[in-house]
Amino acid sequence: MKVSLNWIRRYVDLPEGLSTDQLAHDLTMRTVEVEDAVNPAEGLSGVVLGAITDISPHPQADMLRVCLVDVGQEAPATIVCGGSNIYVGMKAAVAVPGAQVRWHGEGEPVTIKTTKLRGIKSEGMICAAGELDLQDLFPAEDDHEVMDLKDFEGRPGDAIGPMLGLDDIILEIDSKSLTNRPDLWGHYGIARELSAIYGQPLKPLPDFKKPAGLPEYPVEIENPKRCQRYAGLVYEGISSAPSPWWLKLALWKTGVRPINALVDLTNFVMLDVGQPTHGFDKGNVKEKIVVRNARPGESLTLLDGHELKLTEEDLMICDAAEPIALAGVMGGSKDSILPETTEMILEIANFEPIGIRRSASRFQIRTESAIRNEKSLDTQRVDQAMAVADALIRELFPQARLTAFTDNYPAKTQGPVITVKLDWLVTRLGRSLSAAEAASILGPLGFDVKHEDDALQVAVPSWRATGDVDLPDDVLEEIARMIGYNNFAFIPPKVLLTGAVRQPDVLLARRLREYLALEAGLQEVYTYPWVDRRYLEAAGILPGSCLALATPPSPDTAWLRPSLIPAMLETTVHNLRYYESFRVFECAQVFTPGATHPSEKAETLPLQRRFLATAFVGQDPPLLFRQLKGVLEALPRAVMAQPLAFEQKEKPAWADPKAWLNILSGDKVIGSFGVISLKAARLSGIKRAQVAVMELNVEGLMPLPSRGNIYHRLPLFPLVEQDFSVLLDEKILWQDVSEALEGSVKSLDFIEEYRGKQIPGGKKSVMFRVRFGSDTGTMTAEQIDEKMNNIIRKINKLGGEVRN
Amino acid sequence: MRERLENLKQEALIKAVAAGTPEELLDIRHQYLGKKGAITLVLKELGRLEPEERRQTGMLANEVKDAIALALTAREEALIDEGSSIQGEIDLTLPGIKPASGALHPITQMCYDLNDAFLSLGFGVYQEDEITSERYAFDNLNFPPDHPARDTMDTYWLKGFEEYEGARRLCLRPHLTGGSVRYLKKHGAPARFVYPGPCYRNENTDARHERAFFQYEALIVERDFAFASGQILIRTILEKVFGRKVDTRMRAGFFPFVEPGFEIDMKCLVCGGEGCKVCKHVGWIEVMPGGTPHPNVLKAAGLDPEIWSGFYINIGLDRLVMMRYGVDDVRLFRGADLRFLGQFR
Repeated sequence: MKVSLNWIRRYVDLPEGLSTDQLAHDLTMRTVEVEDAVNPAEGLSGVVLGAITDISPHPQADMLRVCLVDVGQEAPATIVCGGSNIYVGMKAAVAVPGAQVRWHGEGEPVTIKTTKLRGIKSEGMICAAGELDLQDLFPAEDDHEVMDLKDFEGRPGDAIGPMLGLDDIILEIDSKSLTNRPDLWGHYGIARELSAIYGQPLKPLPDFKKPAGLPEYPVEIENPKRCQRYAGLVYEGISSAPSPWWLKLALWKTGVRPINALVDLTNFVMLDVGQPTHGFDKGNVKEKIVVRNARPGESLTLLDGHELKLTEEDLMICDAAEPIALAGVMGGSKDSILPETTEMILEIANFEPIGIRRSASRFQIRTESAIRNEKSLDTQRVDQAMAVADALIRELFPQARLTAFTDNYPAKTQGPVITVKLDWLVTRLGRSLSAAEAASILGPLGFDVKHEDDALQVAVPSWRATGDVDLPDDVLEEIARMIGYNNFAFIPPKVLLTGAVRQPDVLLARRLREYLALEAGLQEVYTYPWVDRRYLEAAGILPGSCLALATPPSPDTAWLRPSLIPAMLETTVHNLRYYESFRVFECAQVFTPGATHPSEKAETLPLQRRFLATAFVGQDPPLLFRQLKGVLEALPRAVMAQPLAFEQKEKPAWADPKAWLNILSGDKVIGSFGVISLKAARLSGIKRAQVAVMELNVEGLMPLPSRGNIYHRLPLFPLVEQDFSVLLDEKILWQDVSEALEGSVKSLDFIEEYRGKQIPGGKKSVMFRVRFGSDTGTMTAEQIDEKMNNIIRKINKLGGEVRN
Repeated sequence: MRERLENLKQEALIKAVAAGTPEELLDIRHQYLGKKGAITLVLKELGRLEPEERRQTGMLANEVKDAIALALTAREEALIDEGSSIQGEIDLTLPGIKPASGALHPITQMCYDLNDAFLSLGFGVYQEDEITSERYAFDNLNFPPDHPARDTMDTYWLKGFEEYEGARRLCLRPHLTGGSVRYLKKHGAPARFVYPGPCYRNENTDARHERAFFQYEALIVERDFAFASGQILIRTILEKVFGRKVDTRMRAGFFPFVEPGFEIDMKCLVCGGEGCKVCKHVGWIEVMPGGTPHPNVLKAAGLDPEIWSGFYINIGLDRLVMMRYGVDDVRLFRGADLRFLGQFR
């Protein structure tokens, strides 16, 4: 929202010598965020009044003419100009070299230089309004018109900014910081804040007395819940003439385009006190005003030409026959102010905010009026608006007459009286505060404070009583912000120490990530919770089985992930563009239909579990499988969890038929890993690379209360180390070998397996290393031989043959 | 002859000390001690001498022989010790061989840094589920029904729940604050905890805006907590992130779930508050909102606002990480692009 300081000064005298920076700072610290402060005149520096003293044709161009222009220098400037409306004696806006203008009213500003135009030197530019961003104040009849300043007093060379009255400071206020303050959506509200901040008196608004003896204009409110007050003022002796310059300027500087005096005055009232108003051409309104909900099948053509198919939820302003305005949002095209209007019904009304908001969002219309009405205005503000409007109409149209008047006022905004205990205030503020101090802070903001016993009775003014201030905490905020939050010293908090923070699951989740990233060499990634249909299907998941978003980021990404495998496939595809081998992991929540009640019975949420997934990408599938298995085997000790086991129980849809295993914690399957199937690779578009993936439910990992290390005494006597190379049938698994040798050796390590020319078909060569020894003494040669033979016998029992 | 021997000794010792390679030493050995070596030749002439002279010259010759042999051996050992195990040349400028390491996502890193700081103050860590209901996303947090403030958080509602409201209307959480009520309902007060995590909003994306972003929220609830004490949370975060004391200021700000509510600014670290391009010439940068939990929020959590109060802060980790490293596109955080993520080790 734009706020003009000249406008503010109508209502409060700002301290002398107050800088704009200081004012912006004070308002930002205590009330609302000032995002910017600019002087509109400064945008026109280098643009001066010029008087055209001579015009001659341009020898090279029919459309251009060569002007001599008095710009206040000793010699007139020669300026080439294509303006269609120039004449000798014209007062024009001249951009002298160095000034910035918007070329032909478009694009970024450019700097004017002395230059040759078709062979003639031109020392500046005679400007069109659009080139100075002034087109709303000086509407041009055609594209080639330049600004004619005949109505303004000034001498050649005068800067036109100040001459036009543009000298002002416009504060740009962050509208988001005003959401809860309907009272600040007009200059009077901001003036009140500044009056409180600087201790300067707030000047009263004009007074308005309901005229006695006037006829009533009929206003019927059918739905008083949605319209708590409707004042209708009928004026004659008015017209749609242009507004006086000061009014145009006031609107323009605050971002509203001047139209004509009748429209402008309604906008002025809104920007002044924050109360939207609307003018109807009385000649077009049949008999009366009726405030009612739309009836089935009704429609309305708005001022901007849009036709609305109304719903029965929409509150309408109607005449005896049909809707004439969408209440509080926008007027209809037929009955609002027209160029020929001479008699006007001025609507100043209060509407229920929710209804306004619903209608505005139903039809996607965000007008200045709707923005204010949806924030909940007090009914008393109608009085302020009537006073300002009536005074302004009399100023603009001295001959205007109020011919009829109605104030249909079903319900008045009641300001609550809040009891605030003083000792509570002192404790929560962390600072001493007397009742008198509190009253002196709250008084200028409109609160009426009485001190009774040890409490304050704070009466809330109507403009703060529409949902903004109704609790002691709200009063505390008012006091604290006016003192200035930065003026409170830091108080070290006093806390109850109740015990150490013990959160094994939080610790486990962190160890898991750190183990994978820092020890196992995986890169952590984050992906989106919504997944692409392509990767869902590649992972063998039916989109129909997933939770979905009502309005997804795109039609292809409507589903919420029930698994992280699709994300692993997608991540693999993206990174294969740059890398041929890599390892990634993600730890995130996945979602499946179901019913959980984390906080209360009434709330039913779907199943939400924290999963961990990895992808190992490379060239050799068995190697990738074993690398991934190795990371999993070492995981429980690294993260302090119960050990994991691996077995084939339920094949995951994405897995290769041969290379997969389930992951078990206790006897529960908590995940799976394996090489992805050829189908999964084809559907996700993975080419020229092999991928092994893993997914497990982190909540299935059982954290141990402490580290799971076990101490073994160091061997007292030397161990014998021996490598074996054995020829085995393909059907004999490593597990068979390790079970056969269990108990007879101190350690057994797999080294490698080999299939090749020297190995007969259906066989494989397996190499492993054993260590054995005695606890009672160094082994003798005989004992060693016996042990070796024992191992060989066990291998033979498996049908194997020792090769070395 | 003895004089010759002395001269030969001097000559050989000088050569031995000067020798630079084992080959040279071998040459010297041959030259003096070999079968046709100078000393050997002298010894061969001994027979021509008188017995007494022969005995004495013979002793001297042996002494000279030993001395030369000793010098040659000493020089040989010295040459070996001075040598290198490198055969041929080594290029010391070749890059080192790095340990095979992955990395945590930069946002996880930032999150853990902050967790460590808060854990040291006795805060717990809480994780709320990412799908929540309208009741926890808005109703409990003092957002009146249909209030414009709900518009500021364009929410991803779940399909099939559009017709419901409150506890039955589901969405991806648009912020973390709803989780505070869940935690307090479960654990009661006093409470000190942080609850980081991803949040989602239905927005158009560009380099500064993302639909999925990571927030970090901390809440302390204590008996009669003065809001001026809330600065402990602000200081903890900023000093952890920037590694030094950072000046902050609190100013008026509106969020439905706090009363009073603040915007918290930090003094611009680039210009030190003088005003520069980074802080848009204000000297301060808006970093996070905060405030005292609104009484209605405490009530929703089953706590008596007459007794309990506290302080919230909430900070966007995406933006913090962007500030820390100068990352210029927020979308990179969820792009799973290893060229980007691999830079944060």
